[in-house]
Amino acid sequence: MSYSKEITVSKSGVPKIALVALAAVFVFGLFVVGYDQGHLFSVVFGEQAFADLYIHELTHDMRHAAGFPCH
Amino acid sequence: MKTSLFIAIVLLSGFSAGVIHGLLNLFMVEPFLDTAIGIENKNMFATGEAADTPDFWVEYYSYRAWQKGGQILAGAILGTSVGSLFGVVLAYSRNVLPGNNFVKKTLALALIMWITVYVIPFVKYPANPPTVGDPETIVLRQTLYLAFIAISGFAAVGFYQLYKRIDKKLLAFIGYGAFMTAMFFVMPGNPDPITAPEDLISGFRISSVITVSVFWLAAGLILGVLWQKFNPDKIKQTTPQ
Ligand SMILES: [Zn+2]
Repeated sequence: MSYSKEITVSKSGVPKIALVALAAVFVFGLFVVGYDQGHLFSVVFGEQAFADLYIHELTHDMRHAAGFPCH
Repeated sequence: MKTSLFIAIVLLSGFSAGVIHGLLNLFMVEPFLDTAIGIENKNMFATGEAADTPDFWVEYYSYRAWQKGGQILAGAILGTSVGSLFGVVLAYSRNVLPGNNFVKKTLALALIMWITVYVIPFVKYPANPPTVGDPETIVLRQTLYLAFIAISGFAAVGFYQLYKRIDKKLLAFIGYGAFMTAMFFVMPGNPDPITAPEDLISGFRISSVITVSVFWLAAGLILGVLWQKFNPDKIKQTTPQ
């Protein structure tokens, strides 16, 4: 016989996969909003994106508002 | 720990707090950005770089509408990003944070991270509205800001290690304060002179601090409530009888 019950195990630490996934989200998001100057879309659209700075314009106001250096 | 549940509530809370941040910015920060960009426009007309024509304003308003709409999207992206860091730090510190429920723990951590990775870097490198920054110094300013956030964040982790090992806990706080004060004077300041009007700068900074602070409060509160409700630490255990 066996029975199931719910117990709480709170060992400090994070599963590796969660750590990697969340660290990636952190770096990616910080780069896009705080630092990107049009590099990201250039992968898709080529050099033209550098001139248009799509992401930069879209994240521009938040960059100022959140305290990141800008223009 | 239920890994996917943990990731899901971390992302959801960061995303939600970020959207709140973006929405709040539309009301609180955008008026200052409009004023600052208005000054830039005047300067461009004065130097002949742009002409004060109906065409200019049509293009200007569609461009600004695009930028303002981006507040929400950028808020969601930044919120999810910062929320992810928050979730990782929470996972490592959840058993030592004060409080008998998760809302208290997440609010305590939000307060600590708000001070170490936002308030202290802000004191050294305060936010500026458009027209202040010199494009020539952008890489330097970005490097300095990120470096100061990293220094403050890692110093907090380091002095926490000390805190755990010593009896006089206060010394760890004094140590962190002394170290950051030293770094404050060691690190070079923002090289750009501020030529914009004083009340524009201060109004912008106050609004910016308020909305970022609301973000941290919301991020802590939402993750605390979600953790309390769904508890990723709860696992089914099958015990043989
Ligand atoms: Zn700017």
